[in-house]
Amino acid sequence: MKFFKRDNFKRDAFIGLVVWIFLLIFFFIVPSPGIHDIIQKVFILGLFAMSLNILIGYLGLVAFGHAAFFAAGAYTLGLFLQSSAIVSLGSLSIPAAIISAIFISTVLAAFIGAICIRLKDIYFSFLTLAFQMLIYSIILALVDITGGDQGLMGGFPKPPFLGINLGKPFDFYAFTIFISIITIVLLRQLIESPFGYGLRMIRDNPERPAALGFNNQRHKLIAFIIAGSIAGLAGSLQALLDVGAYPEWAFWAKSAEPLFMILLGGMHSFLGPLMGALIFEILNDFVTANTRYYGLVLGLVILSFVLGLRRGLLDWLLIKFYRK
Amino acid sequence: MLKIHKINKSFGGIKATNNVSIELKPHSINALIGPNGAGKTTIFNLITGKISVDEGNIFIGDNNITNLKETEITHIGIARAFQITNIFPTLSVKESIKIALLAKIHGLNNMWDRFSSHSVNEEASKIAELTGLTKVYNTISSELSHGDQKLLDIALALALKPKVLLLDEPTAGMGPEERWEMIKRIKELWQKTKMTVLFIEHDMDIVFDIAQTIFVLQQGSIIAKGTPKEIKKNQVVIKAYLGGGKK
Ligand SMILES: Nc1ncnc2c1ncn2[C@@H]1O[C@H](COP(=O)(O)OP(=O)(O)OP(=O)(O)O)[C@@H](O)[C@H]1O
Ligand SMILES: [Mg+2]
Repeated sequence: MKFFKRDNFKRDAFIGLVVWIFLLIFFFIVPSPGIHDIIQKVFILGLFAMSLNILIGYLGLVAFGHAAFFAAGAYTLGLFLQSSAIVSLGSLSIPAAIISAIFISTVLAAFIGAICIRLKDIYFSFLTLAFQMLIYSIILALVDITGGDQGLMGGFPKPPFLGINLGKPFDFYAFTIFISIITIVLLRQLIESPFGYGLRMIRDNPERPAALGFNNQRHKLIAFIIAGSIAGLAGSLQALLDVGAYPEWAFWAKSAEPLFMILLGGMHSFLGPLMGALIFEILNDFVTANTRYYGLVLGLVILSFVLGLRRGLLDWLLIKFYRK
Repeated sequence: MLKIHKINKSFGGIKATNNVSIELKPHSINALIGPNGAGKTTIFNLITGKISVDEGNIFIGDNNITNLKETEITHIGIARAFQITNIFPTLSVKESIKIALLAKIHGLNNMWDRFSSHSVNEEASKIAELTGLTKVYNTISSELSHGDQKLLDIALALALKPKVLLLDEPTAGMGPEERWEMIKRIKELWQKTKMTVLFIEHDMDIVFDIAQTIFVLQQGSIIAKGTPKEIKKNQVVIKAYLGGGKK
């Protein structure tokens, strides 16, 4: 019991491992491809939303253009696996493609972040949005490379590596969740580290840190880059799942999705955005199966959370049952 | 310790600071007084690099710190508490003090340790003790009383172990009893540490009680400086300030 009370990396890694094993067993207990699909999507979108929440929840910066990095990761992975590099890399192709996707979205985030973090509040939000729409236009314009508005067509191979064949549903499920959980455990370490408290300090009062000899801008940029790289990872997993990449992933509406998830799940608890992704996916699945008015239902649910609970679901649950 | 040499600062056409020179001896406690809008806070902003100096120089020891960045000046050894409390509302007292301690040693770049178990814990509780915040150590800052918030603001500055500590109206908004408690605490802090202190204060009883040297500012100019005895007798001050209704 003491082990679980102590908030440290080992405990989190252990919990992560247990959750992963549980979900693997679950795969066989509930052999429904539809539910497996929901679970892996929840993790992929959860990563996307959690990465955005570094900026919104912990740094207090509302970034509107986060899908730029998601799309960058997705297209990088797809283009990499369609390229000739894969012939020489063979079974290393998929790890190399994921690493490239993270790398490219990191570089992109460094570039966009360096410019955007100079601005505050709504100006920051608008500039991130502007960059995202720029990326969107570039994807549409480079038809020869990206397939333009058709998306990245023709699929790509998924050569097995380390005995993992992502063409098989179980392998894909296990792999995606494993990568996501590792990332979440690492992200938790970041948020609970002195660096993470530096973020909270800037969120709480951006004027004071300079008088403590602390450089806000540097800290904000690093956080922005990390958030972008995780969004890129999420995008690359999504591309692997769909065996393609689509320009809508760089459209502004795609940036609104993680925002909804954060609103639904809660921005003040670490796993809030992941829970938001779960609610979002369940709504998406069940509502679209039964009505055409998906947008309306989503709107009403968000409205009832915002007006009824006045916070995301996990934030609300934690306050109600955990903290008094 | 701190030497301000003929600094000037104008906002638009208004001279907020006019040829001001101030010199503080090492390990001294000094007051800066003057009516509302005299330019007291502006002088603090100039010293700490929050705003730029138009003309003149500021030294700490032999170090010319004129127009360095606010962060650099802080690392050289000047810390301040603010007229309007300037703290971190959602963080606890403990977390806030630890953050200030870590900022001092560039420790907030650390991503590999847990903040909660970081080694500065002991030092943080010492600072809380020094500032009388032990009882509210785990309270969230926004839930502290006004007085404790002021103390926390000072605690953050102390965590930087400054050579020079600037306190902007540490007793503002307090009742008479609380005021004297705060002042006693500041005096104690000053005696225990080797700091040079400069504080801004409107209450003349307090100023005369603890300041060794007093600087009187009016419309951006220093019109008098001296010991409490000298200031009490100074005709210019009596006319301009003491006589003309204090706050
Ligand atoms: N950043 C600024 N921009 C423009 N004018 C300023 C700025 N800061 C201060 N001033 C002006 O400079 C003058 C001095 O202000 P300052 O805040 O230094 O006074 P003070 O002596 O601290 O007064 P108080 O006792 O009310 O705190 C005022 O007229 C103020 O309006
Ligand atoms: Mg003032």
